[in-house]
Amino acid sequence: MKEEKLLKEPFLVVFKRWMMSAGGITITLAVVAAIIATIDSGPFIIVNTVVTGGMWALLSLGLSLVFGVMNIPNFAHGEFFLIGSMTAYFVFNPMRLYLNDNPSAFLSAIAPFLGIFLAFLVGALMGIIMEKLIFSPLRKRSRDQWVMNSFLLTVGISVVIINNIQLIWGANFKGIPSYWNVDPLEFLGVRLSVDRLAALLLSVITLAIFWYFMRRTQTGRAVRAVAQDETGALLVGINLNKILSLTMALSAGLAAMAGASLLFMFPAYPTAGLKPLYVAWYVVILVGLGNVSAAVIGGFIVALLQTLTSYYIGTGWEDVIPTAVIIIMLIFKPSGLFGSVVKGVHEQ
Amino acid sequence: MKDNAYTGTTNKISISDQITAALGSLGITPIGLLLIIVLLILPFIPPFNQEHILRWLVSAALLAAQAIAFDFTTGYINVVNFGFAAFLGLGAYTSGLLAVNLGLSPWIGIFVGAIPAALVGLLTGLLTLKLRGIFAAVMAWFIGLAMLGLTRNLVDITRGPMGLSTPTLLDTSSNRPYFYIIVAMMLFTYIVLRKVIHSRYGLAFRAIGQNMDAARASGINPTYYRVFNFTLQCLIAGWLGGFYAHYFGILTPQIMLTSRTVEVLAIAYIGGRGSLWGGAVIAFPFIFLIEGLRSNLTALPGLHLVIYGLLLVLVMIFYPGGFAEFYNKASNWVKTAMRK
Repeated sequence: MKEEKLLKEPFLVVFKRWMMSAGGITITLAVVAAIIATIDSGPFIIVNTVVTGGMWALLSLGLSLVFGVMNIPNFAHGEFFLIGSMTAYFVFNPMRLYLNDNPSAFLSAIAPFLGIFLAFLVGALMGIIMEKLIFSPLRKRSRDQWVMNSFLLTVGISVVIINNIQLIWGANFKGIPSYWNVDPLEFLGVRLSVDRLAALLLSVITLAIFWYFMRRTQTGRAVRAVAQDETGALLVGINLNKILSLTMALSAGLAAMAGASLLFMFPAYPTAGLKPLYVAWYVVILVGLGNVSAAVIGGFIVALLQTLTSYYIGTGWEDVIPTAVIIIMLIFKPSGLFGSVVKGVHEQ
Repeated sequence: MKDNAYTGTTNKISISDQITAALGSLGITPIGLLLIIVLLILPFIPPFNQEHILRWLVSAALLAAQAIAFDFTTGYINVVNFGFAAFLGLGAYTSGLLAVNLGLSPWIGIFVGAIPAALVGLLTGLLTLKLRGIFAAVMAWFIGLAMLGLTRNLVDITRGPMGLSTPTLLDTSSNRPYFYIIVAMMLFTYIVLRKVIHSRYGLAFRAIGQNMDAARASGINPTYYRVFNFTLQCLIAGWLGGFYAHYFGILTPQIMLTSRTVEVLAIAYIGGRGSLWGGAVIAFPFIFLIEGLRSNLTALPGLHLVIYGLLLVLVMIFYPGGFAEFYNKASNWVKTAMRK
């Protein structure tokens, strides 16, 4: 019904309405701010925003997906990021040291991908373990006040993972100088390191694959069906347990992948997951809980906000400014900039 | 009280019954009274009269009071204040800064510090508590993070990570008087919050916590009661923060860390949500366990947090009633066994 109406209306009217909506205003403002800042202080602002924004998008996408499908506000999401960067470090660093002694063009081209892909797999595995070991028993016991209970469970899990990593591998920073030992590229007068470019490409490709999976495949449709109505999905013969495990695996895997691809910017240490966790939550609350596609846009907006804050005000203020922005947003539009699309959350 | 009704056929009311009734109206059972008496003489019994163990006792009582306040919100209206530590820190910093800059007596500062905490709590509540519970939790967390960021960055005022040294409440190096102060604060917190829970407000809280739609249908305004509850909790958090500031004598932004909130949360849940006293009882053995572990296993930092986290997860999945439910079941079992 709504789609038909949209098709009939001239483009200008639709565009005008979109420009008047909260989402449209924010996107326009963000683009204008990015352009002004770029003119004012150089193109690196755009580059930083786009590179980290892509990864924040992957992170918030997973958080939003798990909330939309499973109704779990995951507080341990940052720990998947951390697990990803730890895995990538332990896979890539020995290879890097080996390559220093005996150079091989083929191996040095493939090593970063190996690290990032393995991180994805380990993250996905952790997601499945968490679902089977923790959420599934809780779901069987009681679904009363599910959102709050699962939130507190993930708090416990996060504390356990952080401190176990500290106990086993210590609190020191585990980082790498870069994935690719190549000179930075020159592009329109901007020096862009290959690592950043690779991270950006990776996030764009992953987002495209994810979009295709959710929209065009049978399994992706099943995931969306569960998000809309769990009972209905069961009735039409969807294997609920499989879908729930898959959702958790995807969400955790994407977060781990983001952690692995950004290892050159954010070294791995026990509490490294906290900052990505804040960011993912900022994004998800800003755009609307459970709104998966808006989380992608939100990732870039928050990245811009952070880049501008740390450049113009100072690095310590990164938590203060976004909080102020979110407070303003909640006053005027409590369901998020793009509106929440979660249905059937019986929660207080 | 139920037992009295069971056996009491005489018209005379003995003095012991009167005392029990008076204590009962304060929410203290005979066993509770016994525990309080033990707690009060504990600082004079040999292994506990050493200064470092007295320090543990003070931290345990502080944690117990926090757990009571925390459970007042989580256990009844089912909203988690994830920025609890930051509200405590706001009270602590207000009181500490007033004492340092204006020379206000810490005894007044403790109470003054509670006011900004309650105000920020009120604003947070007004902003988020009309939405689903998770918004309040996440928003309180964000505001907590923002407050942490501010205390770290406003070095001119708070001295940031270098720490603000604050005057202490008393001119003594002994921890014993502080222990009695914090125990009194803990008991006051418990009695006041229990009075609220057993009033008309408490009924509304429980109705909202169990089924918000049903509560709304029976004419309860959920937002009003939730905001009231949240603000009262923040007020108490700020007040306890004042004690923190003037007991340790040094304030760092560390006090506002999320892991502090997690500690309180874990204690409140392991103690039993919706009981108020559960967390307070559990806090004492817990602090001793944790501090004992910490002093013996310095090679394993963070082990105590692993224990907190694991216990929280296990309790949430397998025994959601926590210690309070265990105690109630055990005492019912004993009662029925004795009647036979």
